[in-house]
Amino acid sequence: MARIAPWLALLVLLTALYAMPHFAAGQPYVLHLLILSMLYAIPAVGLNLMLGYVGLVSLGHMAFAGFGAYVAAVLMVDVKIGFWSALALATLASGAAGAAIGVVCLRFRSHFFMIVTLAFGLMLYSVMNNWDSVTRGAAGFAGIPRPAPIAIGGESFPFGPLDHFYLLVLSAAVLVFALQRLVVHSDFGRILAAIRQDERLARARGVNALLYKTAVFALGSAIAGFGGVLQVSFLRVAAPASFSLAESINMVLIVIVGGAGTLSGPALGALLFVGLPEYLRAAQEWRLVVFGVLLVAITLFAPRGLAGVAAGLWRRISSRRAQAAS
Amino acid sequence: MSRLSVRGLTKHYGGIAALSGAGFEIDAPGIYGLIGPNGAGKTTLFDILSGSVPPDRGQVLLDGRDVTGFAAHRMARLGMARTFQECRILPEETCLENVLFAAQQKGMRATLVQLASRSQAARRAKQDEAMRLLALVRLEAYAHAPAEALSFGQRRLLEIVSTFIGVPDVLLLDEPASGVNPALLVTLSEFIRTMYAERPRVFMVVEHNMEFIMSLAGDIIVMHQGAVLERGTPEAVQASRLVIEAYLG
Repeated sequence: MARIAPWLALLVLLTALYAMPHFAAGQPYVLHLLILSMLYAIPAVGLNLMLGYVGLVSLGHMAFAGFGAYVAAVLMVDVKIGFWSALALATLASGAAGAAIGVVCLRFRSHFFMIVTLAFGLMLYSVMNNWDSVTRGAAGFAGIPRPAPIAIGGESFPFGPLDHFYLLVLSAAVLVFALQRLVVHSDFGRILAAIRQDERLARARGVNALLYKTAVFALGSAIAGFGGVLQVSFLRVAAPASFSLAESINMVLIVIVGGAGTLSGPALGALLFVGLPEYLRAAQEWRLVVFGVLLVAITLFAPRGLAGVAAGLWRRISSRRAQAAS
Repeated sequence: MSRLSVRGLTKHYGGIAALSGAGFEIDAPGIYGLIGPNGAGKTTLFDILSGSVPPDRGQVLLDGRDVTGFAAHRMARLGMARTFQECRILPEETCLENVLFAAQQKGMRATLVQLASRSQAARRAKQDEAMRLLALVRLEAYAHAPAEALSFGQRRLLEIVSTFIGVPDVLLLDEPASGVNPALLVTLSEFIRTMYAERPRVFMVVEHNMEFIMSLAGDIIVMHQGAVLERGTPEAVQASRLVIEAYLG
């Protein structure tokens, strides 16, 4: 019973999310917010694998999302290949860039690693911002298409309408979260967790730590790139500001506030990050203040973030129910 | 051909010579004691044998193969396993997970195959053996408890048990008895003997607890000032004038 309950809850959640366009038919605003949340949550999964499971705090994560986004933009607009091929190629390219840059950054430890990732993030950002002939510079790369309609059961399914694009992003998010679970609950994930807990022990047990850290850096960057392509396809423009240092720091906040090293953390953090300022009707600028305070509170009182708090509540409710039953 | 051959190892840290020409040959399986006063170079020797640090000079041969300066993970995959003086475990994992982690394959290819197939067969196959080893050191009741909940002595036992499951050929135990209470010490001694009886291999034990090491090891290597001072049976070593002088300063 206790083992089925979480799966049942997940099933209900997924059903509700997939049925959302139906409920929110007259409320494009809700769909819009959910899409934005998922567009943050997807790269956050990539960072969670690095930060939450291996302890690698990258301050340049969104630069890899930008790398993927611009690769896809050039492929779709200039080379004129289709969305799906561009998505696949851009994801692979981000992964390759992550491996190449990761292998340099990972020579450094703790705060030195953070500074080097920050430097690479800034470098990629300034390339996006200044290489006018390819990236269209600070004005942004406009005219990025939505995916071409696909045929489902003989009927055309275009991605132009908001509710259709929502289903695309939702499916992409489900895929990425499923991948995260697959990785975490595998031998690969156990090696990552061992590196975080005691790297010297992991090495003595036969783990090539640099190889595994590079692999997770590549995987995290590929996921970021995947999310970046979806983001610019949604906004129909790639802007350097979406992939700036500030956005990379937002990613770290989302992962930590949501719960680093938890499967649901990136979703909870992104939902809060996008939803809270909207809910409070506060200016965008207050978001960082609120998140700063939350970050301090979470570091002090809830090291496993919102996901940890939620898990604690779940345990309390189910144990109370078990008591009531007996 | 020697199982393990250590030739003229030298290692300096800053101006301090931790090892200055240490060497010995180990030709047969057995339990070997490695003793010596503090600063004699025992842990530095283990660090070099396990690939944690490269030597400045000298050679390490495993089954005749030159493995000098190999990285720690390569040494581990060649069958060299160690414990640490400061005791290292995975604190967030359960005791069973700690042992199973030691048993699991670490190569990237094997790991990716497991990721893609999601096969649990290898883990299930090791589960019984892991539980048996935990029971031998009386940790079976803690199998599903996080390792950080254990006492220091129990952590030490967990670390040692984890080291044995990978079926290594050479085991380096760095002060296994330190921090372990006298009751557990008997358990530990029995465990090491049982492991040796099941499959004789090379066990090297650094230890300051003389009673423990003299009753466990058949061959004692005494180190002093970064080199091997004496080698022999426990009785011979304890009677050696050189050894007594080294210890008394």
